[in-house]
Amino acid sequence: MSDELSKLPPNVQERLLRLQQLQQTLQSILAQKQQVDMEKNEVEQTLVELAKTADDAVIYKAVGSLLVKAEKAKVAEDLTERKSLLETRGTVIARQEERIRNQVKESQTKLQEDLSPVSGQPLS
Amino acid sequence: MTQRAPAEEELRRLSVEMRYLEQTAEALQQRISMVNTAIADLTYANATLDGIEKEKENAEMLVPIGGSSYVKVKLADPNKVIVGLGAGVSVEKTLTDAKATLKERLDELEKTMTSAQQQFSQVAERINTGRGRLESLLSDARQAKH
Repeated sequence: MSDELSKLPPNVQERLLRLQQLQQTLQSILAQKQQVDMEKNEVEQTLVELAKTADDAVIYKAVGSLLVKAEKAKVAEDLTERKSLLETRGTVIARQEERIRNQVKESQTKLQEDLSPVSGQPLS
Repeated sequence: MTQRAPAEEELRRLSVEMRYLEQTAEALQQRISMVNTAIADLTYANATLDGIEKEKENAEMLVPIGGSSYVKVKLADPNKVIVGLGAGVSVEKTLTDAKATLKERLDELEKTMTSAQQQFSQVAERINTGRGRLESLLSDARQAKH
């Protein structure tokens, strides 16, 4: 594979490398997005469950491996803030994803143009 | 050549489909294994609550601290159980409510398990059918070469 790669013109090799890097970045962004989505779902679910409990219910919050007694209202406030932070992070990640996707597309198009005269057919 | 082309096309399509199905089967197996672990955990918690239910206040107990080691404790209140809600938040419930919550979660997981197992069976069946067809196409291709 690397032998075949070295036969390509240096600028094409460079572009191919750049495309691979972009694809790796995209994978990492998608993993971050999944993580944020999962965390947001968990916080939302906890808020729903918390709303079902009585106002004077005894609530505990995890602090490392310890559970510390906490006020229901304060816990709900903290969770709502965490949800809002996760939503903001989600929006930022979505913007990054769109930008990288566009760059990947652009890089693929340029690579196809570069490779067409070499292979005689477009790269799928 | 023109007669062999559709078979070659089918072979290519089937290979791609089989790879996709195998990945799906693997993902389903991982899901089944995760659900199984969660079911075992909840069943264990339920059994512990069943045991606690029979104990009285101040009953002497040994609580595991890891490494096959235990600390001696006295049961402060057999009717109060702390149940996790997720996101690092837990709530105190009566033993009966806690058992009902665990039962609900177990039922939900069992439904997920049944659905995942059904999906896995369907995918496994499609893989078997696909393999049969793939073998027959390959054998036809080999015969055509001779």
